[in-house]
Amino acid sequence: MARTKPFLIGIVLLISVLLIGFPLWNTKHYMALSLVIMIGSFLPFMISFARKKVMSRELVVVAILAAIAAVSRIPFASIPSVQPTTFVIITAAIVLGPQSGFVVGTLAAIVSNIFLGHGPWTPWQMYAWGMIGLTAGLLGKTWLMQNKLGRCIYGFVVGIAFGWIMNLWFVVGVIQEFNWPAILLYYSSSFYFDLAHGISNVFFLWLFSAGWIKIMQRFKVKYGLFTK
Amino acid sequence: MVRGFRSFHPIILLLYYIFAIAGLMLYQHPIFLGLAAATILIINFMLDGGEQLKKWGWMIAIMSVLTLILTPLFNNRGNYILFYFFDRQVMLESVIQGVMIALTLLCIISLFLTFNIVITPDKFVFLFSKFLPQWALLIMLSMRFVPLLRKRLIEIGDVQQVKGLSVKCGPIRSRAKNGMLFLQILLTWSLEESIQTADSMTARGYGIGKRSKYQPFYMKKRDWVSLGFLLATGSFVAFGWWLGDGVLTLLPILEQVLLQGREWFYFILWFVFLAFPIWTEGKEMIKWRYFRHIS
Repeated sequence: MARTKPFLIGIVLLISVLLIGFPLWNTKHYMALSLVIMIGSFLPFMISFARKKVMSRELVVVAILAAIAAVSRIPFASIPSVQPTTFVIITAAIVLGPQSGFVVGTLAAIVSNIFLGHGPWTPWQMYAWGMIGLTAGLLGKTWLMQNKLGRCIYGFVVGIAFGWIMNLWFVVGVIQEFNWPAILLYYSSSFYFDLAHGISNVFFLWLFSAGWIKIMQRFKVKYGLFTK
Repeated sequence: MVRGFRSFHPIILLLYYIFAIAGLMLYQHPIFLGLAAATILIINFMLDGGEQLKKWGWMIAIMSVLTLILTPLFNNRGNYILFYFFDRQVMLESVIQGVMIALTLLCIISLFLTFNIVITPDKFVFLFSKFLPQWALLIMLSMRFVPLLRKRLIEIGDVQQVKGLSVKCGPIRSRAKNGMLFLQILLTWSLEESIQTADSMTARGYGIGKRSKYQPFYMKKRDWVSLGFLLATGSFVAFGWWLGDGVLTLLPILEQVLLQGREWFYFILWFVFLAFPIWTEGKEMIKWRYFRHIS
């Protein structure tokens, strides 16, 4: 894992540059290209986990963390657009590493949609949360994730990026045409919610991330999990 | 016993949904989309009497009407000026496009409502286990924890209320903080318990050999027949799109909206394909009526 890490970070960076930069010089094939990139960056991780031999303890811990991330919406049902799912995924990924982070994120999206109803947004949610888990895990040992301020910055950026990826289902599936005014309009209409997501991430990470990381770290040491 | 559309093999059902969504995205023509919307709404009513539709209706209606109004205002490419709105031209082409976008949105979301009725979690997990068995196991495990964690959260909430901590009242900041504290308690509690679940899995032999699978669904004769039906009509639908029959050209010159000639053929085929659930559900309904009168 150690040698592939810079490589993986490079790929993630490349993907985001391509996704954001491509429409600037060619808007005609953007939809097809973005879909290809997303599938190409998502499936390998899905498959590599499917092939991996996992200890039963690790499997259950990942499953329960995803379930906690999915359930975590419940106590916050009375506060609109505040939900700590992203927070749970980020902290789990920091402690458990990139692959488990990816699995927790993707699984949380699947499971919460089984209970709330699938929609055209399910694959995008899987992608967004999966990638948040993956990148948080990749950056887990760096200074960014090891101090509170860094985590908050990451949480804010990721909260807004999550909303943007979720908007893509509408752009790709419904508008189907890349015209800037329509997309700007749509993205600005969702901006309040994206901002609320980003700010609530910062709030949760600032107050609770140190505690949660400590709890999971202790647990990891106690049972000798995810040591490889 | 499950009958009708719901009783088909999950892979057949998945295939129907994939083709239907692809068709909706390819056939960008107001009349084709209008037909699709009507068909999908009928399917919704046949499957659960429109219950899901009632729940989501407002959200769908608001989104559709918004796109219907906003698209023409922000997209002004076209040749025919209808009228001016605050010095902005409103084009016929962009109005038609607004109609198409709104209809696509309505169709896709209401199609997913039927998806949620038809693809129950057991079928969903089965589909996963076909291609990614380890993921299916994970989904099962995680799904099983959700109701349990819900119960625990209620219990935690009851206990914490005695201490005066609540997520239901007070300023937002303290509510969010309390909610997070509850989750933290849930985390420590559940992580410990999860080890026990894992150990009992190991004790029962998890990871020793190759995992065996429980196969709850088999392809029957009617599944093969409907596979043929879906493939045949589906490829015709794709061919019609390739010919450009189900697509309304907006630019540079607006095509005639009304259908003509060969387009009718693909229009009817599109309906025959999309109404697959109506045929299979309808057959059951007719049988039910008929046999009730006889006896």
